Amino acid sequence: MGFLDSLLGRSRTPKPAKKDRLFAMSTAYVTLETEHGMTSGGKAGLVFQAEATSDFARIVAEAEELLRATGEETGTTVEVSDDKYGYRWVVVSDPDVEDLVVGLSSIKDGLDVGGYGARILAAVFKYERSGGRPAYFIYNVKRGLWYPFVPGKGEQVRDNEAELRLKAQLGGELPMEPELERWFPLWGVPL
Amino acid sequence: MHGTMNRSSALKAPAGLQARMLLTLFLLGVVYVVLMAALFASGASGVTIAVVAAGLFVFQVVAADKIGLRAMGAEEVSPKEAPELHAMVERLCVQADLPKPKVAIMRTSMPNAFAMGRSKKAATVAVTTGIMEILSPAELEGVLAHELAHIRHRDVMIMTLVSFFASIASMILQFGFFFGGDDDENPGFLALVLVALAVYVVSFFLMSALSRYREFAADRGAAEITRRPSALSSALMKISGTMQRIPEQDLRAHSELAAFYIARPSTKSLFALFSTHPPMEKRIAALEALERQIQGTTGTQPLPAA
Repeated sequence: MGFLDSLLGRSRTPKPAKKDRLFAMSTAYVTLETEHGMTSGGKAGLVFQAEATSDFARIVAEAEELLRATGEETGTTVEVSDDKYGYRWVVVSDPDVEDLVVGLSSIKDGLDVGGYGARILAAVFKYERSGGRPAYFIYNVKRGLWYPFVPGKGEQVRDNEAELRLKAQLGGELPMEPELERWFPLWGVPL
Repeated sequence: MHGTMNRSSALKAPAGLQARMLLTLFLLGVVYVVLMAALFASGASGVTIAVVAAGLFVFQVVAADKIGLRAMGAEEVSPKEAPELHAMVERLCVQADLPKPKVAIMRTSMPNAFAMGRSKKAATVAVTTGIMEILSPAELEGVLAHELAHIRHRDVMIMTLVSFFASIASMILQFGFFFGGDDDENPGFLALVLVALAVYVVSFFLMSALSRYREFAADRGAAEITRRPSALSSALMKISGTMQRIPEQDLRAHSELAAFYIARPSTKSLFALFSTHPPMEKRIAALEALERQIQGTTGTQPLPAA
């Protein structure tokens, strides 16, 4: 968005980043599992703001149906739920991380083609850490960048140390968000 | 390509609004050029005024938000203190691709919200406890999105810059009142005071107009982020309804600060020209037009003039 646009109040909601790096997870998970003792939680979710237009629900349902159909071969299952902040989640379950990536990507493409790509916030992958709380890898769809999110003990507490460690460990594999102030947490992730 | 391709595309910015905003900015520019010319014409005091003006400018840019926050009794809150509010702001920031602003709360029953800060990275969003009580989550989200749109549009910086020249003019005016006795010796000074007076008056009206246009723009920006203009409408209706009932107190003393509020605290302004916010009905009508646009019905009603 141009400087002049924002100066004149013509701001618009950014669309998904041109360079889609969602697929970086389909290789990074190998390092995560073999070198850093983490295992996939078997679930990943795409979070977006539902829009109250007539065709929005249909487009989501179509994307979901498509994934259900292809999922019969791969064993991928799909669930849709709303969180307490009013955002909608399409949660994909599959033991294979690559299938999770493909699944979320197909939902994302479905929304994108339907003209609702700008509604998507993020894709989230869950990992279990040996002897620790689960870690989430969040892919900010608009920025095309990843960052770790590790909830700590207590309400809305983050384990920043663990997050920074994950950044250092995975910086080479996942394109990381360099601006730490954009490491937005997602509380109440239904994964 | 695809029938629904345009559905979620950017909401149309009303052409008239852009033109009026540009015209206002242009006229403000002209006014300031005249003021500067007058300053230079007055000769001797030029350097002094320049130094004072530079100092004032730096002060306004650096300290305005802190002073504003303190003046309004807003306290920054941590995610632990206000988890829901923080989470709401965070998600809107992801959606709008903005860095997270500071979040502050004012303890007053009057429902209101405002944004402060000279840049996207040094911004604060503040809400009153009153607004959090009366609004539903979706409505509050609309209000927060409106404030984020102000931040994105750099409204605080623009209004600070714009009001800066008005401040200089008012300083010269005050100078004039103090040292106005010996006009005979310095007719140039009298002329300067008169120009300053004119600048002050004109820029006051232009500032109000600009502020109203930017209010419409922020409403539209909020609709861009949440795609729920009707939620913001109902928030505005609730706020204005409550505002008329709750007796006026401390908050509306500072009219410069009123420019940053979600809705103008006092609804009793005699002349629309003086008000920093467009009338509520016009904002609601504009939001309704945005909702029609989002819903895809061909309501071609243009956004009403401010």
